[in-house]
Amino acid sequence: MTRPQRWLISVLAAALLLGSAVAQDPPPVRGGTVTVAISADPPGWDPTLSTSQEIARVTYGNVYEGLVRFDRDGAIVPALATAWQVSSDGLAWTFTLREGVRFHDGSAFTTDDVLAKFERARDPDSGHVNTGYYAPVVDVRAPDERTIVFELDTPSRSLLYNLARPDAIIYPRALAETQRSQPVGTGPFVFARYVEGSEVRLERFDGYWNPELPYLDGATFRIIGDANARVAALQAGDVDYVGAAIPPEQVRVLQANPALKIASGTATAEITVAMNNARAPFDDPRVRQAITHAIDKDVIVEGAFFGLGTVIGTHMSPSEAYYVDLTGTYPYDPERARALLAEAGYADGLSFDFELPEPYAIERRTGEIIAQQLREVGIDVNLSVVEWGTWIQRIFLAADYDMTIIGHSEPRDINIYANPDYYYQYDNPRVAELLAQAEGAATAEAETAAYQEIARVIAEDAVNVWVFSPANTVAVRADVYGFWVDQPTPALDLTRVYRAP
Amino acid sequence: MTRFLARRLLTTLVSLVLASVVVFGAVLAVPGDPAAVILGMNAAPEALAAVREQLGLDVPAPQRYLRWLGGVLRGDLGESIQYQRPVARLIGDRLGVSVPLTLAAALLATLVAVPVGIATALKRGTVWDPLLVLASQVGAAIPSFWLGLLLILVFAVGLGWLPSGGFPGWDVSVGRSLRALALPVLALGLGQAAVMTRMTRAAMLDVLSQDFVRTARAKGLARRSVVGKHALRNALVTLVTVLGLTLVNVFVGAIVIEQVFALPGIGRLVLTAIGNRDYPLVQGVVLLYATAIVLMSFLVDLSYGWLDPRIRYA
Repeated sequence: MTRPQRWLISVLAAALLLGSAVAQDPPPVRGGTVTVAISADPPGWDPTLSTSQEIARVTYGNVYEGLVRFDRDGAIVPALATAWQVSSDGLAWTFTLREGVRFHDGSAFTTDDVLAKFERARDPDSGHVNTGYYAPVVDVRAPDERTIVFELDTPSRSLLYNLARPDAIIYPRALAETQRSQPVGTGPFVFARYVEGSEVRLERFDGYWNPELPYLDGATFRIIGDANARVAALQAGDVDYVGAAIPPEQVRVLQANPALKIASGTATAEITVAMNNARAPFDDPRVRQAITHAIDKDVIVEGAFFGLGTVIGTHMSPSEAYYVDLTGTYPYDPERARALLAEAGYADGLSFDFELPEPYAIERRTGEIIAQQLREVGIDVNLSVVEWGTWIQRIFLAADYDMTIIGHSEPRDINIYANPDYYYQYDNPRVAELLAQAEGAATAEAETAAYQEIARVIAEDAVNVWVFSPANTVAVRADVYGFWVDQPTPALDLTRVYRAP
Repeated sequence: MTRFLARRLLTTLVSLVLASVVVFGAVLAVPGDPAAVILGMNAAPEALAAVREQLGLDVPAPQRYLRWLGGVLRGDLGESIQYQRPVARLIGDRLGVSVPLTLAAALLATLVAVPVGIATALKRGTVWDPLLVLASQVGAAIPSFWLGLLLILVFAVGLGWLPSGGFPGWDVSVGRSLRALALPVLALGLGQAAVMTRMTRAAMLDVLSQDFVRTARAKGLARRSVVGKHALRNALVTLVTVLGLTLVNVFVGAIVIEQVFALPGIGRLVLTAIGNRDYPLVQGVVLLYATAIVLMSFLVDLSYGWLDPRIRYA
């Protein structure tokens, strides 16, 4: 993104903020509860055993904490560690632990719990997710009861970021087996009650290490699967905060309601049209470029999503610190698309399967519009909707598909392009080279440059078509303050939420 | 009578076993891996294999089926893969929502359909006939989830009289739980009422055209007596069959209604279980449904003997 563009967006964002809150927010008020609508409950509540974002939405920052965490702007801030430093050769990271921290069951937070956690996190057979993040770590030790040291065999600049992720949280070593059904952490709220398929009740933790927080006495997460029913519940006053997808056409309706507040921020998802790079016709880069040229992303965001999103040109969302705007790589140009197709030998047209994932309305809507846009350049897709379990099995795990569309909402996951077995079937060793460069970079600027170069490489190779990053739209009752507007990581963090009439 | 009962018991058991085999096979035939659903998209193959072993999914299917069947005969429905709790407990928790919803909706449907159905049959040929028939056609065509959303918009959002969804729990508040069921029962029951009305009307018309009705009228009996006493009693056998069908439809319709109103019932449970490939849970719920339906049809059959003295069981 160029500097004037970034400035313009800051001004617009400020204007939006001012427009939505004419007066200053009132000072925090202690007490009260909030009812949040979410869309589904996860298969088990342990974030180290499942990457389901539903777990993080309820528990990140509320029930569980790690050594560090993201704040509402995506910055990495202290949580269970108060300070950290890295040695000059980048091979040792030293964390100073916070004192006087207790778990919800009253037991003390000690280095034992940290060591137990990272032993599991580094062991691929333990069932812990994302063990790859800790691949450069050869040892984790506690030289004294307030210090943890990570010994690496190669510098890893992304270690700190990975320690803020939802799966990096720490729970009592003695309670590892029961976290799935009864989360116990160090956060400001206790996981008090869970009625399967119905609701989760959180209650203030009086022993939280920060005695000023949380402001709320408790919160209830109501599970409402239907998007329209969630909106109806908000309007009827049955819930105070919709923390799940709101149909974009409903946003206008909600904005007109004086009892509600709507805010829109960035999120981490990239709606990606994935092409099977190993299969004809997608093995020809001209075909992939042609498809990119054929898609008018602005019309999709403005028309179908009422402007609630940012057009992107690579696998990065605007919430990413390394974000670079590459939408100009292969802009909307149907003439060029047709020319490229003719060059590739498809002057008479082209046909393949385009499969949409059933549970995701944004992807389905986008896919339908794209199918129409492709038709205008002579590409006739066979549109079909695939059930989720089947999508994961056949398309994602077995890479048996032509073209599909899905939102990738894991933040900073551009490293998937270094994996030739990933469902894109894209094999370019340059990406792995650049990733290694980023990990071992001497300065933050060099790290940023390496990531941005990866973004450029995959954009120029037109591996996929990255359509847009949907905005995070929040709808709350007018007396609720302190909620996150952006989603640097999926989280409905209620730590600083309060109700002020 | 005993021979009849014994035969019925045997066919019931055979139906249940067949139903369980069909469901087991159907869920298996659909592609999808519960381990992948649990661990999510970026799970490593070793992790997937470990979870599959943990869940006992590496055992061949027929063996798994027999193991499950053995458990059922001992009263153990197994453990849910997703929730890691006994299936029987999960179902039991939900019965408190689904059973009142289903029964109340069926009752509402009956209370509306029988009088209206009789009325349309009696008013045949008058101006009311086509109007009532049209109303029941439209009612039958309206999808229940749409009716549900409409009711939410009017009564919950617009008027604020009733909650838009959710279920507080009988142990938390009986009053609020009843209010939470009001709109779902209406959405489910009215749709069924329309369908049932047409069947009641057909049954009454059929009976009213019979000879004995003409005889009764010729004898000079009052209309009320002819219709209320003679005709209705003869139509009861058909009506009870319709009631049985209504109960089945309401069972199935409840799945959609529970989604719309976010009710923690059995319908929503089985829907998420199918999506998550939670085999033990799906099998347990389907077995429950099959048992309930088979039992209902048995009761309906038994009632024939009581309602119509001409029917006797060998």
